[in-house]
Amino acid sequence: MGLISEAKLLSRGRDWRGRSRTPRSAEPWAPKHEPKEFPTAWARTPVTGIVRTAIQRGVLKPVAWSQTRVTVEGREYLDGLRGPAIFIANHSSHLDTPMILGSLPRRFTDRLAVGAAADYFFDARWRAFTTALVFNTFPVERYGSRRLRGLAGRLVDDAWSLLLFPEGTRSQDGWMNPFKVGAAALCISKGIPCVPISLRGTYGAMPRGRNWPRPGRPKVVIRYGRPMRAEAGEGVRDFSFRMMSEVTRLWNEEELGWYEALRASAAGQLSAPTGPKAIGAEETPAIEAAPATGTDIEAAAAGTDVVPAEPEDASRWRRIWESTRPLDDERPRPVWPGR
Amino acid sequence: MSRPGFVLEVDERTPPLLIHQGEGFRLENLPLGSKVIYGPDPLPGLRDVNAAIRHALLHPHGMEPLPELLRPGMKLTIAFDDISLPLPQMQTPDIRQRILEHVLELAARKGVNDVELVAANALHRRMTPSELKRAVGERVFRAFFPEHLRNHDAEDKDNMVHLGKTDHGEDVELNKRAMESDLLIYVNINLTPMSGGPKSVSVGLAGYNSLRHHHNSHVLKHSRSFNDPPNSAMHHSYNRMADLLGGHVKVFTIETSVNSESFPSAMGFLNKREWEWNLKDQASYLAVKRANEMLPTKMRRKVWQSQYAPYKMTGINAGAPSEVHPLTMAKVHEQQRVEVNGQADIGVFGVPFICPYNVNSIMNPILVTSMGLGYQFNMYLNKPIVRQGGVGIFYHPMPNEFHPVHHPSYIDFFEEVLAETTDPAQLEAKYEKQFATDEWYIHLYRNSYAYHGVHPFYMWYWASHAMDHLGDVIFVGADRKTAARLGFRTATTLGDALEMAKHTVGSSPEISYLHMPPLTLADVR
Repeated sequence: MGLISEAKLLSRGRDWRGRSRTPRSAEPWAPKHEPKEFPTAWARTPVTGIVRTAIQRGVLKPVAWSQTRVTVEGREYLDGLRGPAIFIANHSSHLDTPMILGSLPRRFTDRLAVGAAADYFFDARWRAFTTALVFNTFPVERYGSRRLRGLAGRLVDDAWSLLLFPEGTRSQDGWMNPFKVGAAALCISKGIPCVPISLRGTYGAMPRGRNWPRPGRPKVVIRYGRPMRAEAGEGVRDFSFRMMSEVTRLWNEEELGWYEALRASAAGQLSAPTGPKAIGAEETPAIEAAPATGTDIEAAAAGTDVVPAEPEDASRWRRIWESTRPLDDERPRPVWPGR
Repeated sequence: MSRPGFVLEVDERTPPLLIHQGEGFRLENLPLGSKVIYGPDPLPGLRDVNAAIRHALLHPHGMEPLPELLRPGMKLTIAFDDISLPLPQMQTPDIRQRILEHVLELAARKGVNDVELVAANALHRRMTPSELKRAVGERVFRAFFPEHLRNHDAEDKDNMVHLGKTDHGEDVELNKRAMESDLLIYVNINLTPMSGGPKSVSVGLAGYNSLRHHHNSHVLKHSRSFNDPPNSAMHHSYNRMADLLGGHVKVFTIETSVNSESFPSAMGFLNKREWEWNLKDQASYLAVKRANEMLPTKMRRKVWQSQYAPYKMTGINAGAPSEVHPLTMAKVHEQQRVEVNGQADIGVFGVPFICPYNVNSIMNPILVTSMGLGYQFNMYLNKPIVRQGGVGIFYHPMPNEFHPVHHPSYIDFFEEVLAETTDPAQLEAKYEKQFATDEWYIHLYRNSYAYHGVHPFYMWYWASHAMDHLGDVIFVGADRKTAARLGFRTATTLGDALEMAKHTVGSSPEISYLHMPPLTLADVR
């Protein structure tokens, strides 16, 4: 064999530096590499706080409020709230966080950290930096990694309030997903209150895939509920279920009004915010820290007001169609006229 | 810690793999899915070899420290492994030299005058003075050669003693001087799992009368493998003989193991896994291969034979053979053993330039058979890497070349015996005795540097298990006429060989390639 053909044979499968890829079966076993944690402590310093407030109040809120018609309800419930709290909301759009930050009183936003998916917001340094600066985000591991566990707790200890989206991800179709129990666990372990928030219309205004609200100033409603505390002896799952029920009630206020929603809630007639079951979609298991047993769920359901009734199945387009329906200004009449 | 061995599964990322073929090598694209058995990386050598030797001699297993065994007026014989170990020859100082110097230092201090050094070459050719000097070192050589540093002569009837028969009726006839000594020290280099232990004395210092009991086609056929002593009929025989001689002479054995650094740094790529070759390795591959092909045959052989391995000692233990050998075996296994899942339909072996019987010599076709179908095929525990009835594909050019001084009986064996039959049992029955007792071969063995007349038969028996097990044997790149004489088929390329193997193993066979050297012991589950 000539030198050239020998060299050709030798270079087969090698790059220009003469390096060969390692055959799969020869790759050494390596422990899964945990990416380094992006430091966010700098984002919680007073100076950054001033910059952030300027951005939020000077740019973010005016822009968001100019692109949507925002209605905020129930903010008065926060009047008596002191100290750190956990704000929880349904999550269907990137608009959610600016809406909440823009509608919360400054005494909360000045000391509010936002839980953001470590695998999404913290995978690229520029994105991590920007979100930490503008929203004061801190990374939350969604998939059971041991890394970062305890960071939220440390923030609460430092008197920071947290904004968490217990669904763990933005909704695919505007409807709610089951809550993960992390937020409830944190409330119970730290003994702090939880403020339920319901966001309506954000999905219609800026669904997944859009990076700017759709034209036409769509209506968005932010509804705050009363701060909730875990009762003595209440379990994490029960409290989490109660949190979800409260968000459900706030969600339903859009259609039913405050009082009707309360009554429907008491009568167990609220429609579930998870929407009709999707046809053809696989049963989505609730992603929770620990698998729930049947008895747990039944026990939790027995003490709550969420209707376990199965809504009619619907195809994916119908689910999206329904969730993007513009919020009607002709709302049911409030109980107290003039409110 | 060095990396353990493993089984590679050839995928699209796998670069062409190196296969030895005599005094050369080639790159070969094995079919996707083929398994390639790689031995562990070389173990780190002992940091202070001299201290390790001293420690072994002063803290032996199952015996008193060596100084306590030595006394003035005693008769001391020191036997050591001959030129067949290690392979390739190691860079100096040789392990034997280092150990002998320590042992002789102790003997000198104790005032032992009657010391005899014997190369345990059994029926191998005698070592030349320069080879002896290389093995034992200048100082020992100067002090003992030629009167007291000698080759074992199995045909010197006056200096052989018949110790009796084992319970299986096996004659035990060994070197008289060694058997009549007050202490026999054996210096061993344990390269393969078959060496050492009971084999050292009962084979190394034996004669034909003894060797014929375990070096025959029947025993070899039932040694599965001869590198797995508990399953080797040959080793069972060694054990019986060792038990018998234990009653006659006190044996203090010193066993060593080496790592797998078989090639010097200039040919370092031969020691590396192909996908880890850097530019330097690739350049050396091209340069060495090209230069190697351009060299005339004699020069090429000389170059290969002068590649001295930078072996490092990984362990040394001394004392009673039965207690020392398991420790050595553990080290050897640590260096060579690789677990392999299941047998393949086709086994691929690259036969290298060296085997135990062609050091400073020519690897003739019979030695190629003994190396490929004997040593390499038998580098397994439990089961061969090829299934019963499978195909063995071997790489070697197999030229019809013999060393007239070293292998005279091989020439006659090839020309006369193999022309008639290649069946080990048949040629054993018909021709072995004639070759073993031929006066001319005996004369050459004793006075020249020839292997004993019976030695080519042993080489053929060595392959009898593989011949019995394999359904077909194909040599890639071999001389057609020579291979045909041996009863093997030839192919020009691997593709042709696989095509030929179709008749035996079908069109989609499983293929296992035992990537050696360095020595790799497949533990097939």
